[in-house]
This record gives sequence, C-alpha cells and structure tokens, in this order.
Amino acid sequence: MSILDRLRLSGHLDDAALAAIWTDAAAAGGQPTHPHLQACAGCRSRFASFASWLTDLREDAAGQVDELFPPERLAAQHAQIFRRLEAAERPARIIAFPKFAQPLTSRTSNGSRWIAAAAAAGLIVGVGVGQMMDIRRSLGGPAASAGPGSPAYVQLANNQRPDRPELRTISANGREEAFLSEVDVTLSRPAVPELRALDEFTPRAGEPAPKVH
Amino acid sequence: MTGAQAAGVSGREADGAAASAVKAMQADGRHAEARERYAELVGRHQRRATRIAFHYMRDAAEADEAVQDAFVKAYSHLSSFREELPFEVWFTRILINGCLDRIKARTRRERWIAPMPEGPGGERDFAERMPGRSPSPEDQLLARERREALSRALARLPERQRSVFMLSHFEGCTSREVSALTGLNESTVRVHLFRAIRKLRTLLGNSGDAGASVEKRRVHS
Repeated sequence: MSILDRLRLSGHLDDAALAAIWTDAAAAGGQPTHPHLQACAGCRSRFASFASWLTDLREDAAGQVDELFPPERLAAQHAQIFRRLEAAERPARIIAFPKFAQPLTSRTSNGSRWIAAAAAAGLIVGVGVGQMMDIRRSLGGPAASAGPGSPAYVQLANNQRPDRPELRTISANGREEAFLSEVDVTLSRPAVPELRALDEFTPRAGEPAPKVH
Repeated sequence: MTGAQAAGVSGREADGAAASAVKAMQADGRHAEARERYAELVGRHQRRATRIAFHYMRDAAEADEAVQDAFVKAYSHLSSFREELPFEVWFTRILINGCLDRIKARTRRERWIAPMPEGPGGERDFAERMPGRSPSPEDQLLARERREALSRALARLPERQRSVFMLSHFEGCTSREVSALTGLNESTVRVHLFRAIRKLRTLLGNSGDAGASVEKRRVHS
C-alpha cells in the first residue's frame, strides 16, 4: 500500500505524503494536483509550508555558493580556464640549458692555478715516497731503519726460547744483491729439524730428476 | 510551455550551435576563434557548474579546480560530443565524474594524512573571509548556522540521494534530466529524491526541535 493510498484512508497528509506529492510534482515539472490538497485547507497550508521549507533550503544553498564565489572569483576562474586552454594548445617548448653569464675559466687566476698544480705535485710525490719507504721497509725489516751503509746485525726472532730452532742472523749492509742471495740460501734450507727428512725426499724445481734404480 | 522552459530550450539550442561551431573550428585549426566561441559556453554554464561542484566537494578551492578541469576536459574532448545530446547534460556528466574522482582521491588521501587544524575562526578559504551582504551580524550568524546545518545534513545523505536532490531541487532538473546525468532510471530518481527529502526533513527538523527544546529549558530555568 503506497503512502498516498494510506493517507486516503487515514484522512490528513503526513510528512511522507507531502514529500511524495512534492516529489511527483517536481519530477513532472509542474504544480501538485493531489485531490486531498484541493479539498483540505489545513493540508494545503501544511504543504505550502513544506514547499517553502524546501525553497529555503535551495536559497540557503545558492546563497552559500554565491557568497563563496563572488563575480570576481568567477572572472578569475574564467581567465584561468582560458590560460589553461591556451597553454594546452601551444606546442611544447624546449628550454635550452642555462648558459653562464661569465665563462667559468675567467674566475680563476694564474696564482690559484699554480697553487693547485703545486698541491697536486706534492700529493703525487708524497704518495710515491711513501710507497718506496714501505717497499724498503718490507724488504729490509727493522734493519732498514738503521740506515744504509752501516753494518747491522739483526736477530730476527728471539732465540732465547729453547723450543724454537736457532735462526741464522743475516747481514744487511746495503748491498741488495748479497742480501737477497743470503735470503735465498737461508730459505732453501729447512729451518725445522722434524721436516728435514721429508725435505730430503722432496725434489726441487731446477734439480735433475732422481734416477730410478 | 513556461518562460523558464522556453529559455531552457532556446539556451540548449544556442549551446548546441556554439558547441558545433567550436568543434568545426577546432577541426579547421582555428584555435583562437574556437576559444573565443567556447568562452560563450563557459560564461553560460560556469555559475551552475560551480554550484554543482561545490555541493559535491563541500570545499571552495576544490570546487574551483573541479570546474576548471571539467571545462578544459570538455574543450579538449569536444570532438566526441554528439549534437543529439544537450551540451549541458554532456558537460555536467564530465563535471560530476570529475567531482566523484576527486572525492575518491580525497578519501584515499585523508586515510593517510592527518587533517590540518583550521584557523581560529574555522576559516578555510579566502572567499569565506569576504564580507557578507547581510544587513546585521545576527542575520549573518543565523544564516551561517542554517547553512552549516544544511551542509551537515546534506553530507549525511547517501551519495546518490545527495546527487539526485541537488540536481532536482537546487538545479531544477526534471527526473528525466537527472536520469540522463546520473545514469539512474527515472523511477529510481524519484525514489532517491523522496528518500532524500524525508531524511533531510528528519535531520534538519530534529536539529530544529533540539534547538527549540534548548530554548524552552533556558526559559524555564
């Protein structure tokens, strides 16, 4: 049973019925033509106040927007729309890489150039000398620090301990050839007595292969 | 036929003619002329579009942007406009879809970003600080309260009911026009309109009753 049918039975129009009548009239775009409204003055007046409440709502809503969007703001909006349209139609611009107002080289003087070159040269020399010192130190060990030309005999390890084999002392008198050959001789002999027997069996590179009997 | 309806029909004819002319100019590459002619359409629909956008967005700045986007989009897609459909309907659909997209984006954004606190007077937009035209501060205050109550009530309506109510009542569209704009059946439009009015009546009526009861309590005390 619809609202309008119910109101026929009950008599007067309630809010829902008024809303239904108003909706039908608004949808059709005309005036309400309900028979009860024609007959009942009370309901007609309630419908009028209902319609006027809805009109107030519309006016409030319109007033709010009008207050927020005065003609100046609408004009600004209009202008902004056409700026955007123009921008959208223009072909895309390629922006060149920004040029410097002055060439970069003109800012540096000759003096600062010399300072930079000297600093770079100093750095290179420093690194090179440091490398050389490291190499010499690694070759000569602590004896290298004694200075070239001076006879220095270095005990390579503490030989006071009885469990360690006796280590030979080597001389480092500055002559590298002699020093290196001494190192070779020392390394060619097994230092650990337990391994000497094993070493006898092991062929060395450069030695002729043992003859098999 | 009433005067308004006759004006509407003649307006629609003028819209159709202007839209066709702009379309032809765009096709010929006469862009400056096309823009000039399009300005006529913008001027005719701008205020209404702003009203609709504001009722959807409830924020002046966002409504402004939504209207701009809709006009730019309509201009650039005018080649797809079919003359048998009124320009107003075609354009309003673009606008409403844009507003709904913005609302979705805003909802997503608000899920992650904490809202900024409003100013001391609750002002959010420069236009809201513009002086009103009401004669007295009391009237201004009452009008503001009424509008805020209406805004709150509208915000509590389901999205479809709100759309139908706004288009039917605020914009004066018939149910057939609302149906064309929203894609709903005419009968569904009527049902949504009826439900929207009832709910508004309840929401605004209850707040009015509450106000009256507070007033009564004050008098008795």
